[in-house]
Amino acid sequence: MIVIIDYKSGNVGSLQNAILGLGYDCEISSDPGKIKKANKIIFPGQGRAKSARRELKKSGIDKIIKSTRVPFLGICLGMQLLADFSAEDNVSCLSVIPGNVFKLPAGLKVPQIGWNRVRFSRSSPLLTGINNNEFFYFAHSYYFQASAQYVLATTDYGVEFPAVISRDNFYSVQFHPEKSGLAGLKLLNNFCAI
Amino acid sequence: MKIIPAIDIIAGRCVRLTQGDYGRVKRYAVDPVVAALQFRESGASCLQVIDLDGAKFGYPKNEKIIKKIFQATGLPITVGGGIRDLKTAKQFLDSGFYRVILSTAVFKKNLVKNLIANYGAERIVVAVDVKDGQVMTRGWRQAAGMSIDQYLKLIKAVGINQILLTDVVRDGTLSGPNFVLASKVIKNNFKVTVAGGITTLAQLRRLNRLGADGAVIGKAAYEGQIDLVSVFKYFSRDNLAKRIIPCLDIKDGLVVKGKRFQELAVIGDAVELAKSYSQNGADELVFLDIAATIEKRKTLITLVQKIAKNINIPFTVGGGINSLADVKKLLAAGADKVSLGSAAVRNPNLVKQIARRFGSQCLVISLDAKRYRGGWRVFIDSGRKPTGIDAVGFARLMEKNGAGELLVNSLDRDGTKRGFDVELLKIIAETVKIPVIASSGAGSKQDFLQAITLGKADAVLAASVFHYGQIGIKELKKYLKSKNINVRI
Repeated sequence: MIVIIDYKSGNVGSLQNAILGLGYDCEISSDPGKIKKANKIIFPGQGRAKSARRELKKSGIDKIIKSTRVPFLGICLGMQLLADFSAEDNVSCLSVIPGNVFKLPAGLKVPQIGWNRVRFSRSSPLLTGINNNEFFYFAHSYYFQASAQYVLATTDYGVEFPAVISRDNFYSVQFHPEKSGLAGLKLLNNFCAI
Repeated sequence: MKIIPAIDIIAGRCVRLTQGDYGRVKRYAVDPVVAALQFRESGASCLQVIDLDGAKFGYPKNEKIIKKIFQATGLPITVGGGIRDLKTAKQFLDSGFYRVILSTAVFKKNLVKNLIANYGAERIVVAVDVKDGQVMTRGWRQAAGMSIDQYLKLIKAVGINQILLTDVVRDGTLSGPNFVLASKVIKNNFKVTVAGGITTLAQLRRLNRLGADGAVIGKAAYEGQIDLVSVFKYFSRDNLAKRIIPCLDIKDGLVVKGKRFQELAVIGDAVELAKSYSQNGADELVFLDIAATIEKRKTLITLVQKIAKNINIPFTVGGGINSLADVKKLLAAGADKVSLGSAAVRNPNLVKQIARRFGSQCLVISLDAKRYRGGWRVFIDSGRKPTGIDAVGFARLMEKNGAGELLVNSLDRDGTKRGFDVELLKIIAETVKIPVIASSGAGSKQDFLQAITLGKADAVLAASVFHYGQIGIKELKKYLKSKNINVRI
């Protein structure tokens, strides 16, 4: 069973719709017991770092994430929470992938909202069958500057930032695959098939 | 081509040498960490940090401050100076530094092979320092005793493909890079970052044309000879596409259209239309519930759930949203964003609360403006009630309160098909630093183009031209692309 972590901050229904549409069993849950038993975990994000971090701590889900061995997909804020530290609300994060979260530089339109290209820097099962430089949908003010060795793809928005990051069983994307048309569905399908 | 600001350090301070001569040091007052943060703020996507003490003594002497720079900026950093053994190189690479620069150490074949095997060739850079046609080593003080060609052959044989090429004679002189040398090394199939003497945008452009992978800016950046902000801007690629957004006015689950509430005509089923637009290239959809009352709220929630099940592009829902609870329900039902109109004018604090609770990225403020004495005034209640509030000032206030986007409607142009009020769009787009969605007045493909080029809009919204098939989204995007507008096709 694929479990989508719900930490009461946003729209997880679209994600579930997308996964179910791909033909995979999938459940939304904030129950640590269920998340522990999942064979894949998706960690979507919306809302703010601080409140999300608080919810995770309160429920003990943060510990489960840190120790999980199953394929894990962080989306948007769900990606950023894998970092060491976030400049959004100045909170310490889960330290799953080394690096910090920064605000998009002044001078750019922030948040970045819309479809931007994702340029691959290395291959990964997550990106199989997706065209390099494909458009994905972004909606964010912060980005996760992970150490370069974990960066699978980048995006240019006046500044170049990591769009896809992975380390061991952890995958994460800054954009919203569930809102990114066919390319997004392909990426979700790739993850479900890992 | 990557523009790489260089931070060279002696005894914990920023310096620049002239022609690599430690006797001709220029010290700068700025702290290296502060300098790095300033580069970042100007738009740098990466940095190069050289420990000149390290280069001289053969082992890093400024490690602490270099690590501080990495922690403070998080940027991919290429680090060099005194990296001559496996342990030192590993220390940097394992702690997340992007690349290490080897110079003297390149003669230790096992070291290079080991590093490439463990970290990949992309993380190992070899400094090729050239003085009068000779390759130099040991902090540029000794000739390696071989020609450039011999040297390139040697490093290629051990698997190196990235080079930091410096013409020692030019370095720190602000006299322009050595294009002949750069071109020669690039032709040997290396990824080449060029350093030494780069002072102008024209020189950078020429290096880019030659096929350089990167260019290092040192002294010129410290001494204000080059405007870094405009250089980064010139070489950066902003690939964010301009969005095309069909707007669906909803009443009782049906899409309707009329000129501001008069003569409502039914266009069709909301879910079916949403599906069809999403399949035909719409980047996003906006649903405005024009009969939003408490009783009808439930129907809207059901409809939003249905839409969310059927499309996989983002959509915004607006109409009658007055509280945090309204927002929560709509987001939970599957809406990606909510749009607030009159409620934002009546209660600017609600905007703050929504942004704080759910984030700016899900909050669109819809602003109805009408021309008045050389400016624009805000109207509420579907354009029926004037407020006397200046539209540009209101846009600024909404940005300050946490709006993620502004949807700008012109009451003068709405339903006229005479084109957007590009002056209104432009003044707002240039005032705020959040995305602006143009609305009201679309009649032709040219109107969309003008909203983007003259109005500086980030997205363009329209209703009837799409609903009645007057303009197809695919053909519109093709047209915009032919006019060099970045659109998602």
